[in-house]
Amino acid sequence: MNKVILIIKREYLSRVKKRSFIVMTLLGPILFAGLMIAAVFVTQADSVKHKIMVVDDDGVLTRYDEQRGVYVPTCLDCFPDREDFNYYFSPYYPGDSIVTEGDYTMIVEVLNDVFNMRKVQLLYESVPSITATSRIESDLENAVERAKIMSEESIDYQTYKRMKVDLMINKVNIEKGENSYEQERAGIGSAFSIIIFFFIFLFGAYVMRGIIEEKTSRIVEVIISSVRPFQLMMGKIIGIGFVAITQFLIWVAFSGVIWLIIGGLFESGMLQDSMAMGQEMDAGQANLDFETYIQQQEGFNLLLAINWGVMLTMFVVYFIGGYLLYSALFAAVGAAVDNETDTQQLMTPIMLPLFFSYALAIMSASNPEGFAATFFSFVPFSSPMVMMVRIATDTVAWWEVALSVGILVATCWLMITIAARIYRVGILMYGKRPTYKELWKWLFYKA
Amino acid sequence: MVRCSYLSSAPFFFDYFCLRLELMNAIEAKSISKSYADHIALSDVSITVPEQSVFGLLGPNGAGKTSLIRIINQITGPDSGEIKLFGEPLNKEHVGMIGYLPEERGLYKKMKVGEQSIYLAQLKGMSKQEAKRKLKVWFERLEIGDWWNKKVEELSKGMAQKVQFVTTVLHEPKLLILDEPFSGFDPINTALIRQEIMRLRDEGSTIILSTHNMASVEEICDNIALINQSKVILEGSVSEVQNRYHANEYLLRFEGNMVGFTNALWTNFELITKKSEKDQHEAIIKIREGKNLNDLLLAVAPEVQLIEARPHTPSMNDIFITAVNLEKEKS
Repeated sequence: MNKVILIIKREYLSRVKKRSFIVMTLLGPILFAGLMIAAVFVTQADSVKHKIMVVDDDGVLTRYDEQRGVYVPTCLDCFPDREDFNYYFSPYYPGDSIVTEGDYTMIVEVLNDVFNMRKVQLLYESVPSITATSRIESDLENAVERAKIMSEESIDYQTYKRMKVDLMINKVNIEKGENSYEQERAGIGSAFSIIIFFFIFLFGAYVMRGIIEEKTSRIVEVIISSVRPFQLMMGKIIGIGFVAITQFLIWVAFSGVIWLIIGGLFESGMLQDSMAMGQEMDAGQANLDFETYIQQQEGFNLLLAINWGVMLTMFVVYFIGGYLLYSALFAAVGAAVDNETDTQQLMTPIMLPLFFSYALAIMSASNPEGFAATFFSFVPFSSPMVMMVRIATDTVAWWEVALSVGILVATCWLMITIAARIYRVGILMYGKRPTYKELWKWLFYKA
Repeated sequence: MVRCSYLSSAPFFFDYFCLRLELMNAIEAKSISKSYADHIALSDVSITVPEQSVFGLLGPNGAGKTSLIRIINQITGPDSGEIKLFGEPLNKEHVGMIGYLPEERGLYKKMKVGEQSIYLAQLKGMSKQEAKRKLKVWFERLEIGDWWNKKVEELSKGMAQKVQFVTTVLHEPKLLILDEPFSGFDPINTALIRQEIMRLRDEGSTIILSTHNMASVEEICDNIALINQSKVILEGSVSEVQNRYHANEYLLRFEGNMVGFTNALWTNFELITKKSEKDQHEAIIKIREGKNLNDLLLAVAPEVQLIEARPHTPSMNDIFITAVNLEKEKS
């Protein structure tokens, strides 16, 4: 036992001390956060200063301001003054040159019979961002809506606003008498599945590579004259498992810190512009404050609705179970071959169920109570990923979880036994890559 | 039971130990058989290795030496047969008593020499402090003290071999199993390692040496076993084996007529080889049953002028080749 601890210690320390590990561990969350921020900026922020010419031949949206000698919108509120986003109006088409040669970025043409046809045309030279397009759409929608109401004699705008209904669905689970947020929960569950998948995939391959390294450097025979091959294999699997846990915990902690920093930046105004833009998009809708309040409330309820104790406990259980199961298989492959190029064919039977389970977990999120999700939450190769979704959605009885874990534990034991038998023979074999038939024979060699 | 006979050729001070110590066999292997799916590695192999001796385990490639060594190391188990180490049936406790230098050997390339040596020593059951202390002594002795903080990948092959040798002997194993210990060493370091092996034996270790380097077998082995195609075909002390093989052979050096010499041999003596240099001739003669050296000398003396006559001791190399070829002919 003492020797296993020594091996675990070496496997753990030699990896944690590596520069690549430190870099990945620290850079991972930063890269991830960077990607998120970049995504936000790409969709929201727009560095271009827009100068837009609205062409209104029919004069439905504009009137001539005699004092200033320019055309102005009938509904001034509909086109608020913004720093980087300015509208100009004209009753006739000014020609393409104001965009191609002049400093206008776009021309919006209000087409004939806009009240019924509901169409405007946007002419551009360089493709406008999604934000800019949707802003124009929302501004003009408001303006056309207002103008249309004004043209009707039977109704005034205030009445219209009062009568307009924006419906919200309040979902309530009959048994619980409250919203059970199943879709949202399934989303959180599949996030856990993705983490499990990612760590099995990454660290299982580390186990395999570590074993190949011991084989090619020919140290393995020296070591197994001191410890049993099983101890060496388990020491390696467990040691690398601890590396995975270390990396995971650091990522969680570090992501939390980054999240706080980004939150701080938002509040201090550095990112206010993009936030302001986001808010404006909602501005056209009524009951803004109420809605955001409800939304915040819902997010909060969702977080409360998930039983985090159960969720995190099962995450740890399935993380360990899934990792042990797959890394035992990776270990067997590593022992069977001499170098990494030979692993391809033997890896296929491991990769297929792993990727299949991953895809299944993602799909289960949209139907956590379906047959596939139910069935594969018991199959040990997929249960660590699929069952997380079902647990998150709270659509699973405790005995089902117990059964699933039971099957997983039994299969882990079986796979480790099989892997140990292949490992024991394989680590001392050099040369030709063994066939499946030979691997089968290895299982029955006398120790 | 006192076993001192094998020490008859050893330096005189061993007699003192013989009087004082009761030596037993380090290894007694009886009828060991081991087969794999497609071939037989060992069939009915029995060897006895006396304590405090150097035992040469010889044989062509693929004969089964490594299989036997792995069974002694408990890396694999025999299909049948029994092994006793120092009088006890093979058990887990023995792992710490053995130092094994496999033929296919290496170190973790990215680890530092010192760190790695301590790790390997700990796996053999030594404490960190003890390992460190002894390593310093050994590193000093082999003049590799400066390498402590070097990574293994920075070392040359010979340098890495030295580190491996140290890690094999560090825990003062009662039984040392060295598989081709001299490969990769230059002549100077080969001599150094040979000297260390002898010193370890003198300090009480038993050493099993598997090698193809026959010169070193003659020099340092007390006993040998020759394994060929999974069977022991030759066993005994080095001198005994040399006598058994090519016994009754003599080397004669003479001047004179070679034709007359060969005629004089007639049917009682067999000419094995002959070599001529100017007027001088050299011949190895096997004396047939019923005759002796006197008869030989009487027969050839009238024909030639004898310069030298001495028993012809075959080299281990010759014995190895002859024995293996003989087996081949048999089958």
